Amino acid sequence: MAQVKLDESKTLWERWQSIADKTPDKEAIVHWSAGEEPFRWTYGELVETANKFSLALKKNGIKRGEVCAIILKHDPMFYPLYMGISGAGALPAVLAYPNPRLHPDKFRQGLLGMSQRSGLDRILTQRDLDSIIRPFVEMRESTVDELMFPLEWDLEDISESTTRDLQVVRNKVLNTDAMLLQHSSGTTGLQKPVVLSHKAILDHVSQYGEALKIDEEDIVVSWLPLYHDMGLIGAFQIPLASGVKSIHIDTFEWILAPVLMFESAHKERATLCWLPNFAYNLCADKIPDDEMNGYDLSSFRMVINASEPIRSESHKRFIDKFLPYNFNPHALSTLYGMAEVTLAFSQNPPGQKVNEITVDRQKLAQGIVKLADENTEVKRVCVSSGILIPDTEMKIVKDDRSEANEFEVGEIVVKSICLFDGYRNYPEKTAECMDEEGWYYSGDYGFVYDGELYVIGRKKDIIIVAGKNIYPEDVEVVLNELDQIIPGRVIAFGEEDEELGTEQIGVVAETKLTEYEDLRKLRLNIIRAGMTIDVNIGKVYLVPPRWLIKSSSGKPSRKANKERILAGNDEAIWTEEKFRQTSVER
Amino acid sequence: MITDRLKKVICETLDLRLDDVEIQDETVANQVPGWDSLNHVNVITAIEKDYNVRFKSIEILKCQNIGDLQNLVNSKVG
Repeated sequence: MAQVKLDESKTLWERWQSIADKTPDKEAIVHWSAGEEPFRWTYGELVETANKFSLALKKNGIKRGEVCAIILKHDPMFYPLYMGISGAGALPAVLAYPNPRLHPDKFRQGLLGMSQRSGLDRILTQRDLDSIIRPFVEMRESTVDELMFPLEWDLEDISESTTRDLQVVRNKVLNTDAMLLQHSSGTTGLQKPVVLSHKAILDHVSQYGEALKIDEEDIVVSWLPLYHDMGLIGAFQIPLASGVKSIHIDTFEWILAPVLMFESAHKERATLCWLPNFAYNLCADKIPDDEMNGYDLSSFRMVINASEPIRSESHKRFIDKFLPYNFNPHALSTLYGMAEVTLAFSQNPPGQKVNEITVDRQKLAQGIVKLADENTEVKRVCVSSGILIPDTEMKIVKDDRSEANEFEVGEIVVKSICLFDGYRNYPEKTAECMDEEGWYYSGDYGFVYDGELYVIGRKKDIIIVAGKNIYPEDVEVVLNELDQIIPGRVIAFGEEDEELGTEQIGVVAETKLTEYEDLRKLRLNIIRAGMTIDVNIGKVYLVPPRWLIKSSSGKPSRKANKERILAGNDEAIWTEEKFRQTSVER
Repeated sequence: MITDRLKKVICETLDLRLDDVEIQDETVANQVPGWDSLNHVNVITAIEKDYNVRFKSIEILKCQNIGDLQNLVNSKVG
């Protein structure tokens, strides 16, 4: 075992090539598909194929600096294509493959919003999406010039002149040039584009690699989608640029069969993985023991919880379930970060137990950190997100942006050598979250205790369902189109679901309907409307006119109404469950 | 063809009534209101319980639509 030593490459491209030259036969990527032999890329073959893609992309007219969106299903050619785009001097941007229930109009609307912000130039996809995406490309407002199907290209058909052209392009690339574009959060059209340079990513590989003590023998396993920063940077870019193998499982397959992660981890002896909190519950509660028979999880040295609030109970369930399979409880770890700092900002050190503290919940709601004692009525367990990784700074600030005192809760504000330069084509959003001294205002609330960061909530109303950020506005807009809801009188919010270990979306809507049959039809229409934007609405609360509490702006207040709903003692609130319960009682 | 028994288990798990949704062989899970990836396991568990059968993860993965799921159920009970 030896900690990874990184070379002085100035671009990601140089780094990949240099690793391939030194260790051409070392495995770089294992592409995992259920029930099939995995597809294995060595560094040598991967970089050679990526080179061919760069040449093919040049031949197809891709220019330096263009943004190339990739929309592909789980496919072994994704990796060299992604690298090949970068090698041609263009910027790869991974977009989610559309869920079949997402309405094609909503999908195109999302692409339009994204193309106008992110400045997408090309879309590289597969033939079966042609009929859905082409109408978007042909729209007057679209920035996308062309739809391409790179999986159909003949990569052997490359001439020498294009090879020379490619070298000319690569020689011009500076390490401060943009390398990739990723989207920070949000649903259709509202995602904020983050552009990262070769330098930012290489610095992060070294900065975060140091925090993880990444080793040449490490093996990453992941089912995370590659349009998400934790999947793209954590599970793909960091191992690849560190000369470390990563295993990639299809996200859609994993969610149906979470045991796949342990099957691959056992067979390949995986050591590292990143998971959002809900995955701990899903793995602990939904994998039958007979499917785990014979699996040995002792190779894991870090299983890192991030991208949604970390719940102590989820860690406990995970340990209880996997201890019999030789899982080391000290392998559980935590991370706090965001796409704007490339990925990570704080990390629980390897091998160290994750600290938890129990505090007075009522005091915490008032912004004060007070450890619980025997007199505390309501307690809350807070889980540490670790210590700052190298080359970062942090402060906790009050609403007026002055620094909070010790034991006070405030907004987490960060600086990092890997901080982004601002959202692409979105100066107003950049101005909202960055100040002139280069501090990034995260929008998350937290505190520092004993030198460790604890993240406890969000300033904004974002709902995080299974690691996916959803803006309530997106849900409200689509529900406002329903006739039976009083216009403008609907709110969406995140409702904690302890069983799932994540939030689910709750909706409160005012309606004049009063009959049971009408109300249940409206509930169904609300759920169906959510499906058109690929959002699952878990709880529907229907209320009479003028029920919703307004905020000072005159709009219904999400916070106040959520509290009123969760108090649960208002007879005017209609839910399907409540109706059935009272019917039984009658 | 999807049996009323399978439809009933699915609908009850998702708080739906049989006439709320049309379930045919080619219907895919995420076309059914409330059937998303997070509660997929709950639907499968309810089917296993109702028919007193056990599915392997790989068998579930191979089901492209509810028709395939019906065939899987039939193969276990038949």
